[in-house]
Amino acid sequence: MKKPSYRVPRMAHWLLNRATKSHDRFSVLGDYEEEFAAIAKDDGLIKAKLWYWRQSIHSLFPFVVNKLYWNLVMGYTHLKLTVRNLKKQKRYSLINLSGLTVGMACCLMILVYVFSELSYDRYHEHADRIYRMGTFFDVGTRSLRGAISNIPAGPIIVQDYPEVQNVVRIKRYMYRALVESEGQKFFEDRIFYADASLFDVFSFRLTRGDEKTALEAPYSIVITEAMALKYFGQEDPVGKMLKLDNRQTFTITGVMEDVPPNSHFMFDMLCSLETYLTNNPERRVEWMGDFNNYTYLLLQENTDIDALEQKFDELIDRHVGRVFETLGGKMEFFLQPLTRIHLYSRMEAEIEGNSDITYVYVFTAIALFILMIACINFMNLSTAKSATRAKEVGMKKVLGCRRYQLIKQFLAESMVYSFFAFALALILVKFSLPVFRSITGAAMNVGFSDIPWLLPGLVGLIFIVGCIAGSYPAFFLSAFRPICVLKRQSVPGISASRFRSTLVVFQFTISIVLIAGTGIIMNQVEYMKKKRLGFDKEHTVVLQIMDESILRARKSIKEELKRHPDVVSVAFASRVPGHGARHNAFLPEGYNLQESVMMGAISIDDDFLATLGMELVSGRNFSEEFSTDPGGAVLINETAVRTFGWENAVGRTIRELDGRGVNKRIIGVVRDFHVMSLRAEIEPLVIENDPDQFDCVAVRIDPNDVPSTMAFLEKTWKRIDPAGTFDYFFLDNTFDSQYRAEERLRTIFSYFTMFAIFIACLGLFGLASFTAEQRTKEIGIRKTLGARVSGIVLLLTKQFTRWILIANLFAWPIGWFAMDRWLQNFAYRTSVGLETFVLSTVLALAIALATVGFQTIKAARANPVDALRYE
Amino acid sequence: MKYLTKSEEILLLAIWRLKENAYGVTIRKMVVKMTGEEMTYGTLYSALDQLVRKEYVYKDIGDPTPERGGRRKIFYSIAPKGFEALKESQELAKTLWGGIPNLAFGEGKTS
Repeated sequence: MKKPSYRVPRMAHWLLNRATKSHDRFSVLGDYEEEFAAIAKDDGLIKAKLWYWRQSIHSLFPFVVNKLYWNLVMGYTHLKLTVRNLKKQKRYSLINLSGLTVGMACCLMILVYVFSELSYDRYHEHADRIYRMGTFFDVGTRSLRGAISNIPAGPIIVQDYPEVQNVVRIKRYMYRALVESEGQKFFEDRIFYADASLFDVFSFRLTRGDEKTALEAPYSIVITEAMALKYFGQEDPVGKMLKLDNRQTFTITGVMEDVPPNSHFMFDMLCSLETYLTNNPERRVEWMGDFNNYTYLLLQENTDIDALEQKFDELIDRHVGRVFETLGGKMEFFLQPLTRIHLYSRMEAEIEGNSDITYVYVFTAIALFILMIACINFMNLSTAKSATRAKEVGMKKVLGCRRYQLIKQFLAESMVYSFFAFALALILVKFSLPVFRSITGAAMNVGFSDIPWLLPGLVGLIFIVGCIAGSYPAFFLSAFRPICVLKRQSVPGISASRFRSTLVVFQFTISIVLIAGTGIIMNQVEYMKKKRLGFDKEHTVVLQIMDESILRARKSIKEELKRHPDVVSVAFASRVPGHGARHNAFLPEGYNLQESVMMGAISIDDDFLATLGMELVSGRNFSEEFSTDPGGAVLINETAVRTFGWENAVGRTIRELDGRGVNKRIIGVVRDFHVMSLRAEIEPLVIENDPDQFDCVAVRIDPNDVPSTMAFLEKTWKRIDPAGTFDYFFLDNTFDSQYRAEERLRTIFSYFTMFAIFIACLGLFGLASFTAEQRTKEIGIRKTLGARVSGIVLLLTKQFTRWILIANLFAWPIGWFAMDRWLQNFAYRTSVGLETFVLSTVLALAIALATVGFQTIKAARANPVDALRYE
Repeated sequence: MKYLTKSEEILLLAIWRLKENAYGVTIRKMVVKMTGEEMTYGTLYSALDQLVRKEYVYKDIGDPTPERGGRRKIFYSIAPKGFEALKESQELAKTLWGGIPNLAFGEGKTS
């Protein structure tokens, strides 16, 4: 019969085609077409088309429901098959599951970490409009970019520029203060001065007291809830008194919610800045006096930041233009978004050490790599095990299973694994998150509920992991030719292992890079702790002076303290190494005003060099014999001499560019020592002998009986300063604590390295036992023909060894490049040594062989009779 | 055992009547003729799937014909289990209606 010339409506046809399930689609479409043809013949084309449309639309819903129903049935079958396979191959399932679980758990933990890092300071209502004003100095040979600014600029800016809505200035009260209330005394480290506008700019809320006036009057103080609990228990603290450092008494005007841990700086108490300005009225107007302040601006919406910074130039020119004209150099204000401070700001004089966006990237990458290693395990093991699945695939294909159905089945299988692994990972994370929190030191106060895209993200994670892990096996296994498989001809997958080797090499490349990275970080931390600092940090106790009035009796204090046989020497100083130095511009002899040099300055007494074991290169130390030494003489360090380009420094003079401008005679040169951590380069330093600046006592002790010496020191100190408290630290502890960030990095790195190696070795273990299983007969024959156990072990491990050696080819350059870049952060650093890489290789190899060894030896020692019995 | 639903019964009877020629088009036409109500292919095929799943009917794939755009038909025929169910359904109807006099409805009309 001739084919009818009229055609069914195309759209409706397409619709039907989509809606019906595949296995009776032909029949349905055929029925439609048959009736359509009949109607068209009898009643005309239009009626037929109408009928077709009406029928299609009415049928759509039942068809779709039916299709879904059968898909569900299929899904259930897939699930059942997966669970059966999972049970049948317990060892492989366990390896796969645990690998994926650990990988996902790492990923989840990093997710929480990354999210908490990104959440810093975003809890403020106006977070996107708050900017911090920093200052850039360029004075002669040195420039400085600091998070700090002066005091008078803030209020002027608010007045002069309409785009600036509000301003708050913050100033550290002191590094440490003794706080006393109703007989309770504690040391507090986190006390700040702040303007009354703090509560308008930031979203800190008072639970008691009035936000508008709390920080207005001098001597008012706001404390956090934690502090309120610590000092006053359940009582209402508002209106009560706090005495700071035995000097000033503050009235509590408010209680504030605790500062969230994801803040770039934390505080426990806030004194009104008015207090400071009342005590130091000259600071209100002094533009160049005090830069140890932090200014935060609340801007109007859509403010052009660049334009505003330009306007600041004019402001600076108006106020201090003349100073810089004579001095040379320049000063600029710049703005930083509040939300970028935590991750992007690494300037001088930050309030607290910030984190770094690089670490966020690095950890994300590591998490993804670990997840990838786990996915590779899944791919490798499922393809390696393909021989056992081959028959299933062949049988299904013979019975009419289409390839896409097989792909679907295998993908469903990996999804099921992925889902189980995810559930286990959640449990794992729940228990290990506190540990992770304490080792990273990250705020991590975000719960899962704070992440808006969490649910879709996690479903996505399950899906993506399932897809990646399942994709290769799905396409690989579904491609089997049924005839080959069922005839038990060659099954691909046993021989075609190039892809698999590549994946294993990839896994071990990552592992070795991680091991080497951990090694280099460890080296650097060790290096920083061991490096000669130019002074002895060991066995030095530093006592804090609270009451400056005792400084008048320095001589008697020294004698009192030295009465104990283990106290070797005692010295006074403004700051000890590790606590930095104050900075100012200095003018060495023979320089004109435009060439001033930014230098660090500390103040010490004549015993200090000996107490800390510092060396004098030339000239003499301060001495009591010269009455002009305090205020008239200075020491400088070698770097300063080099910076000035002097042959002989002793006898020359240097002048500080402060109000007094006295020329001081240089009486000696000190060998370079580190005032700051090894991240920073040693800078030119002036060492003065100004008793007014002394703030601490350094005591060198013999470590014979440290507890009794400390007890003596405490008793003596209480007699010297009855009102104060015995507050001390060991110099080596504080100096090393500067490297806490690096130590933390080392810990995290070593943990993740362990996870990566663990998962990679799981995979290797699976592959090894699989190979051993596959080659049982070969081993049996070899043994009957006289092969020795050692020979067979060698044969079996050769392949794994080769993989790991190849992985090194990639790992070494990658690791070298990455770690070299990291080390650039340090002014003083170890080199990326070859030995670290050799060691990592040996370590990786050892771990891998240990993993493989057990299986291999077992296979090699098996009785050949067992292996060949069935032949 | 569970009794057939009315629609299952109708479908099975339609297939039985059509004998060798029971496929989508003819079954639908027969059902429409017997009940006098329109039925879409969507409902038809889902119902047929259910019958197949319950093993009341068998499916056979026929030859392609040109008026169907070269597509094959699926022929349905009653399986033994289907006959059993039909028979039971008939007996049930007999028992249920047994004691009731003919034209029982007429009484309702007159009162």
